[in-house]
Parts: sequence; structure tokens; C-alpha cells
Amino acid sequence: MAAVEGAAAAVGAAVAAAAEPPARPRDGVALQGVGIGWRPEIAQVVAGTSGLGFCEVIAEAITPAAPPRGVAELRARGTAVVPHGVRLGLGDAEGVSSTRIAHLAACAEAVAAPLVSEHVAFVRAGGREAGHLLPVPRTREALDVLVSAVRRTRDALPVPLALEPIAALFDWPEDEYVEGDFLTELLDRTGALLLLDVANVYANARNRGQDPSAVLDRFPLDRVAYVHMAGGAVHDGLYHDTHVDPVPAEVFTLLDEVRERGAAPAVMLERDGRYPPAEALRAELAAIAATAQLATPDTPVPHSAHASPAVQTGEPESAGLPPGAHR
Amino acid sequence: MSGELAARQAALVAALVDGAADPAGMDSTRLSAARRALLRKRSGLAAREWPLVAAGMGAGWTPLAVEVLAGLPVADGLRDGWVIARVARERGLLTDGARRELGERERRYRFDGVRSPRPRLFHRLLGR
Repeated sequence: MAAVEGAAAAVGAAVAAAAEPPARPRDGVALQGVGIGWRPEIAQVVAGTSGLGFCEVIAEAITPAAPPRGVAELRARGTAVVPHGVRLGLGDAEGVSSTRIAHLAACAEAVAAPLVSEHVAFVRAGGREAGHLLPVPRTREALDVLVSAVRRTRDALPVPLALEPIAALFDWPEDEYVEGDFLTELLDRTGALLLLDVANVYANARNRGQDPSAVLDRFPLDRVAYVHMAGGAVHDGLYHDTHVDPVPAEVFTLLDEVRERGAAPAVMLERDGRYPPAEALRAELAAIAATAQLATPDTPVPHSAHASPAVQTGEPESAGLPPGAHR
Repeated sequence: MSGELAARQAALVAALVDGAADPAGMDSTRLSAARRALLRKRSGLAAREWPLVAAGMGAGWTPLAVEVLAGLPVADGLRDGWVIARVARERGLLTDGARRELGERERRYRFDGVRSPRPRLFHRLLGR
């Protein structure tokens, strides 16, 4: 199955490279305000925060037929929900599976998403899952693979697709492009939008010994769908985009610059673990709002005043044992 | 067409998770850092699925998790944590709560150390 798909993808890439059909027209997207990455562990905090412009959910953690209750409730409140894929593998040389593309599309429909997002990365090769987002070589060959995969994905999606460039601890010796130019050509050829992860721009610039402002100069900032903010830490002398630490001041400084360039209409906090107390999370959201000059999410009436019993006991959304249910 | 790219990607994944040699021309120091970051990330995901085992071990969780997961194919937090929990049990590192957490799952599911856990027949029949 993988071999057939790989061969088909290779043929597809060859055809696409040989006769470039025009990219689909850029679609208008209207994500606004401050958002947050929804996670079961912080479902209560998110439910108790008013004024969120949107939230993002990990697509692989969603069963389209039955999205998590907290997500459904946000949707019912009118908060936009954006499925964010982490295992599609748009950069996989072996090609993207139709099943995974279909799942992403089903997630979009299940939560009535205004758009979905994924990564400029590969996640599996040689029959092995990497379990992580890995950088593709910034070569013409990799660009062709990405373009083909993104077009196939966009064709199956009912909504626009935003692509996130990842934080990478290493580069490939065969790199032909700088990151901004690689991204720009990818978006030009596919019509996809940019999910600008400011923490990733900071991490990569720092680890490559580059000036983040100079890096941003080459980025396609004219088509940002939304922005990620996340925390990190230094290990082994390198800055790691961990998503389990507070957002450093330098990343806020970079967000301020992105705002000045008119590229921060919607900004969210991404946190994957070691969750701090609700007050600390909300303080980080407030700092994002202040920096990006967006409305500050706040607490509505005290949560206990109207919470249902199930919510008050703090039952995690994913109680019990769903083997393999997480990504 | 993508033959070279496929080979390079496969070489990188093998180097990061299988202990294979670093792909030609890549920075070994950076790849080592990436390997360690991957193991830390997997340790965190496993801790999420095994909160009592992880909390019971405190600061000892991450070093044990990294030791156990190195060279183990990437699965998911549940399976990775299960392997770690069994090693911890062998070494007498489980608290009472952790033993209960592991015991409950061993009782209800069959896990061969590799494939996704499957409910034991008795529990399937009872619809649990």
C-alpha cells in the first residue's frame, strides 16, 4: 500500500513539476483575536475564559463523529475551532495517505472550521514513524513533494489550509533555499496560507545565529492566517521549542515586531504539557493580547456559579482508557 | 524522482530513533540534541498516560523513561509508558498508587510490549 502510494506520489510530483497548473486563488480567512490550543487537560480553563477569538485542536486527537464535549461547547458559543494536523506528513517523500487527508477534512466539517492547518515537515520515512515533526531538506525536490501533497490536500478540504514552518535543531547540508524563500515559493505554487509560529522563527534564528528580523524580511507575511506563540527552554546550549515552558520575553519582542508588520490579526498560545495554574495561563493570554493589541480574554462570571457537576469534579475529558486514541 | 529524498529521510529517521549512523554531512552534535529532545518529548507523552506511575517516581521518571525508550520504536504515550512502568515495577520503583495504576491496566488489557493493548476476553464478554 505504502509502495503504491509512494509511486503514485512520485508520478504526481513529476506531473506537477512538469506542467504547473495555476494555484487556486487565495481564499479570504477571518480568524481574529487571541486564541488558545485546546487540550483536555485545560478544558475547564478554556471553558471559563470569555473573549477567545478562536481555539485550535489537534486533528489526530479528534474523532470527527464525536468531537470532545469542550470543543463542541466552544463551537456552540460561536468560537471558531481550527483543526491542526501534526501527523499528515506533507513533506514525506513517500507521499501523503488519502486516509489521513480524509480525516483532516472530516475534522474540518465536524467542527465547522473556517480553516485547517498543518506543517512544513515530514514525520515518517523508511516505514518508521519519527514521532516528531522533522525538517525537510530545503531543496527543489522536497519543494515538489510538498507542492504535490499540499495540492492533493487542498483539493480534499472544504476550507483553506495554513502551513506552519517548524522549529528545527539542525539543517540539511543539501539545502538550496533559505527558509523564507522556500516558504514563499511553496505558498505561491499552492495557494496555501501561512501559520506564522513566532516561537519557531525565534528558535531557528537563535540556533542558526541569525537575526530574526532579517529572517522575517524574507517570510511571506502578506498571507498570515494566524500566529502561534509557545514557550521553550535551553538544553545543551540550544534553544528548544518545547511547548511545556513559559513564553520567553524575546518571543514577545518578536511578536511585537510581527504586529508592527501588520501580520498578527489572530494570535494563539500553544501549550502541550506541564500546565500552570489557570491564572498563569490567562496572564500569558493577556500578555499576548497586549503585545498584539488585541482584546484580552477574561473570566466571565465565577465558574462555580454555573458549572455542571461533571465539570466541578474536574473529570478529564478523556477519562478512562482509550488505547491509541491520542496522537 | 523522490528516490534520493526518500533515502535521505529514511536515513535521518533511522539515525534519530533506531540508533543508525548519522546521515552523511549532518551535524552530529545537533542530531544528538535532537535525539535527546525526542526522548524527552516521548517521556512527557508517556507521563500523561501514566500520571500515577510518573508522579510516584518524581524526578526519577524522566531519566528512566529516556533509558527505556532509547532504541524502542516510537509508539504512543500509552504503550511507551506501559513499557516504562513494567521496568519500574521490576526495579521496585513503583508507589502504591502506581502499582494500582499498572495493575488495573494489566488486569483489563493484554499488552505484548509492542502492539496496541487489547481488552482481555473476560472484560469484552462483560462489555466493560
